[in-house]
Amino acid sequence: MPRHTTKIIFKLCLFIMLLLISAVACLGQSTTGTVSMSATVSKFVEINSGGSVTLTGNSGGGVTTDGVTNSPLAVSINLGEVGPSNTNSFVTASVPLKLRSNASYVLSASATVTSSGTTASKIGAADVGFGLGTISRTGLGVNSGSDTNATSGDPTLPANGSVNGTTGRYEFTAVRSNLSAFSSSTTALSGPIIMNAVPRSNANGLTVPALFAVKPQFFENGTTTISVTFTVTAP
Amino acid sequence: MRIRHFIFALLILLVLVVGSSNTSAQALDISSGGQPTITGAVSGSVTGSSDVRNDLVVTINFGEVSPLNTNSIVKVVVPIALRSNQPYQVSVSMSGLNNANAQAVQASDVGFGLQNIRVLGGAGKICTQSTHVIRSPFNDDPATSLTIGSDGRVVYPSTLANLTGSTIILSGPQLSKNNSSIRQQSDGYVFDAIFTLTPQFFAAGVSSATLLFNISAGPNVPC
Repeated sequence: MPRHTTKIIFKLCLFIMLLLISAVACLGQSTTGTVSMSATVSKFVEINSGGSVTLTGNSGGGVTTDGVTNSPLAVSINLGEVGPSNTNSFVTASVPLKLRSNASYVLSASATVTSSGTTASKIGAADVGFGLGTISRTGLGVNSGSDTNATSGDPTLPANGSVNGTTGRYEFTAVRSNLSAFSSSTTALSGPIIMNAVPRSNANGLTVPALFAVKPQFFENGTTTISVTFTVTAP
Repeated sequence: MRIRHFIFALLILLVLVVGSSNTSAQALDISSGGQPTITGAVSGSVTGSSDVRNDLVVTINFGEVSPLNTNSIVKVVVPIALRSNQPYQVSVSMSGLNNANAQAVQASDVGFGLQNIRVLGGAGKICTQSTHVIRSPFNDDPATSLTIGSDGRVVYPSTLANLTGSTIILSGPQLSKNNSSIRQQSDGYVFDAIFTLTPQFFAAGVSSATLLFNISAGPNVPC
């Protein structure tokens, strides 16, 4: 056999052996295997309606769009007459809120009050009492925790308002007891994690009523629109 | 030329050594059993080989499991192939997943079960005197057997918390007909390892774990 042919055969054999070795290595068997896994939990907060609105002391008016438990909060209320022809001491609206979170939360409120009146006697933001009522953390899967109410609670409480001795106008005087304190986004409530590790289908959560009040007075006649936006965040 | 002959002989010897080492190792083998799948995930994924001749190397990302994921469950199915010329057992050990916060994802929150053990192609060994036994409590599909516990948290019949040390999850008689030194596409059995995680109000964070599957000689059962 010529030397040239021998060389080729020799190199071919080397190449085949290399292929064999690599094939065996690639398809060789193993007694172990690995499964690695990971999961991410992001901060989560939500606000929904906590149920039906309660309107009291009204003359005329009514709840135009009521709250539906666990549905997005989109309530519309007509407070009715708030001039002296309404002889009730207050017109009040209680709007239940439901909060849920897997982290510490902050509930903020931002309000705008616009009136058709043109004088100082028109209804202004300071004439609309506001506060958060009793906070409830109850039900399966709800974490016990201590919340901080930044408002003064029920604005109709005697401690939260009185007639101004100089002007005679009724004023909500306590800390964050009227909507003028919420002309920009302002904290109304804060607290620790609300929910334990339970599925979203668990309908429980933190409930708190948002309380609104207007003292019928000799306001300038006209119509007033009050809009309040609640926002919950996980800082 | 003599040097070349020497090198040639050396290489043949090398091939024989490599071959013999694999011949002895091939008595027990674990590999990918096919393409893993994931359902119900948000920003999640699973990677692995669809080729049953490749090693079992699977990476699961369950993705978002807070209530931001509105799916009822995240489910991952990982097919795992087994080959043996003798009775075998499969064990699993876990590392990681040590969250101190009880409200964070725990090992008990990850459902883990085995289902659907089946012949891999036409050459799996059919034994009539012994069966392949999925050890308790792992014989279930956690996606279909979850309940809500007394604290409101999701409970599975079997979870990663059932893995204490190296835990045997499966055993049985010989798996393969052939005695090949390399992996075949149709010579053994395959089963589905099922992992589930239900989105819940877990404490925020990232959790991870690694499972090591191991096949070894099992109880001496007849075929």
